[in-house]
Amino acid sequence: MRHDFLDRYSRLASPIHGLPAALKLVSALALVLTVVLLPPSRPVYLAAVAVVLLAVAGLSRIPWPALAWRVVVLEPFVLGVAVLALFQPGGWRLFLVLIAKSTLCLLTMVLLSNTTPFSDLLHVAKAWRMPPLLVTTLSLMYRYLFVLVDEAQRMGRARASRTFVPQRRWAWHAMATVVSQLFIRSSERAERIYAAMCARGWR
Amino acid sequence: MSAAIEVRNLRFRYGEGTEALRGVSFSIAVGESVGLIGPNGAGKSTLLLHLNGLLPESLRGEGSVFVDGIPVTVDTMHEVRRKVGLLFQDANDQLFCPTVFEDVAFGPQQLGLSEAEVRARVARALAQAGIPGFEARAPHHLSVGEKRRVCLAGVLACEPSILVLDEPTGSLDPRGRRELKELLRQIPITKLIATHDLELVVELCSRVIVLDEGTVVAQGPTVVLLSDEELMVRHSLERPHILRHLHPH
Repeated sequence: MRHDFLDRYSRLASPIHGLPAALKLVSALALVLTVVLLPPSRPVYLAAVAVVLLAVAGLSRIPWPALAWRVVVLEPFVLGVAVLALFQPGGWRLFLVLIAKSTLCLLTMVLLSNTTPFSDLLHVAKAWRMPPLLVTTLSLMYRYLFVLVDEAQRMGRARASRTFVPQRRWAWHAMATVVSQLFIRSSERAERIYAAMCARGWR
Repeated sequence: MSAAIEVRNLRFRYGEGTEALRGVSFSIAVGESVGLIGPNGAGKSTLLLHLNGLLPESLRGEGSVFVDGIPVTVDTMHEVRRKVGLLFQDANDQLFCPTVFEDVAFGPQQLGLSEAEVRARVARALAQAGIPGFEARAPHHLSVGEKRRVCLAGVLACEPSILVLDEPTGSLDPRGRRELKELLRQIPITKLIATHDLELVVELCSRVIVLDEGTVVAQGPTVVLLSDEELMVRHSLERPHILRHLHPH
C-alpha cells in the first residue's frame, strides 16, 4: 500500500530538504502572504513568484509529474472559490488572477509538505509555542491518517473479494457501510489509543 | 514482602452487559514469569487492562487488584502505571507519534525527566529492544516486527518493575518471534504474558494461569498443565509440540 501518499517525497535528500524546517515554514508563509497581497493589476509579479517556486521545485528533485498531479488534485477547491469571481463585473480577469494566486499558494504548500517531514513542522510549531493540545491533536491526526487509509483499503479488499456481481446500487450501499464501519472503528481505536497513552503516564 | 501482582476475586462487566471477568484470583511473585493462556474471549485482555487501571468503571470501590501491595484505585492509578509496563496487542494503538523517538520518549517525558535523560533512556530502550538508531524513523513506515519492538522500547523506556504483555508474538514471523523471545528472556523483571503462543509460554514462563469464560480454571507449573492434554483441549488449547520433545511422556 502506498500509505506514504501524503508526503512520499518529504524524506528525499536535496539542498532544499536539507534546509532547517523553521526557515522553510517561515519562507512558505511569507511567500503565501506576498502572493495574496500582490496587486492583481501586475501579473508580472505573479510570474516572478512562479519562477522562484519552479526553481525551488527543480532543486528539490521531486519528480515533476508527481508535483503537478498533487497541485491538480487540489485545484477543484481553488476553482470553487474562483468561480464566484465570475459573477462580478470584470470577473474574467479577477477569475484568472485568483486561479493564478491560489495555484501559487498551493504549489508553495505542496513544496513545503514534500520537502519537510510533518514531524519536523510540528517541532517548529512546538518551539513557536503553539498550544500543546493543538500540536498533540495534529500529530495524532497525521499518525492515524495512515492507519485509517490502511484500514479502509483492507476493508475495501475484503469487500471486493466477495463482490461477484458489481452493481451500482450495491456499490453505494457497500460504500456507506464501509464509511460507517470506519467511523465506529476509529472511535473504538481512539479509546484504545487513549488507554495506551494513559498506560504510559498521560494525564 | 508483598506480591508483584495480586488479584482478589476480580469481577468486571462491560457496559453493554457481557460479564468478562467473574471472580478472578491469582498472585504473581516478584521476579516470576507467568503465562496467561485461554481461548479467545476468555477475558485475558480485559484482565490486563485492569493491571493498569484502564477501565474507569473498575476503579470505583476499594479495588481487587494490587500491585506491589498497592490497591489500584483512582488515587493510585498513576503510580501503578509507572510500575506496570503494558504492551498492547495492536501496535498501531500504541504507536501514536509521528517519529519513533517521540513515541519511545513519550513515557519518560510524562515522568518529567530532563531532555538529556529522556534521550539517554530512548537510546537505551531502543538498544534493549534490538533496534538501536531507529529514532528518526516514522512508525507507519515500519514492518509489523519493527513496530512491535518500538512498542516494547516505549514500555521499557518507562523502566517499569513489572512487564505485562498482550499477545507479544502475534502476527510475527518465526524469526521475529524467536528474536522477541530472546529479548524478553533478557529482561530480568516480573512478567505476565497473555498469549496463544504456547511454545513461548513453555520457554519463558515457569508457571501458567489458564483463564476461560472469565474465571481461572487452572494454574500451576507450565510443564504439568500444558502436558495435560484433556485440560488443554477442554479450554480450546493444545499440548504444544515442544513439550513432546522436552518431556516425551
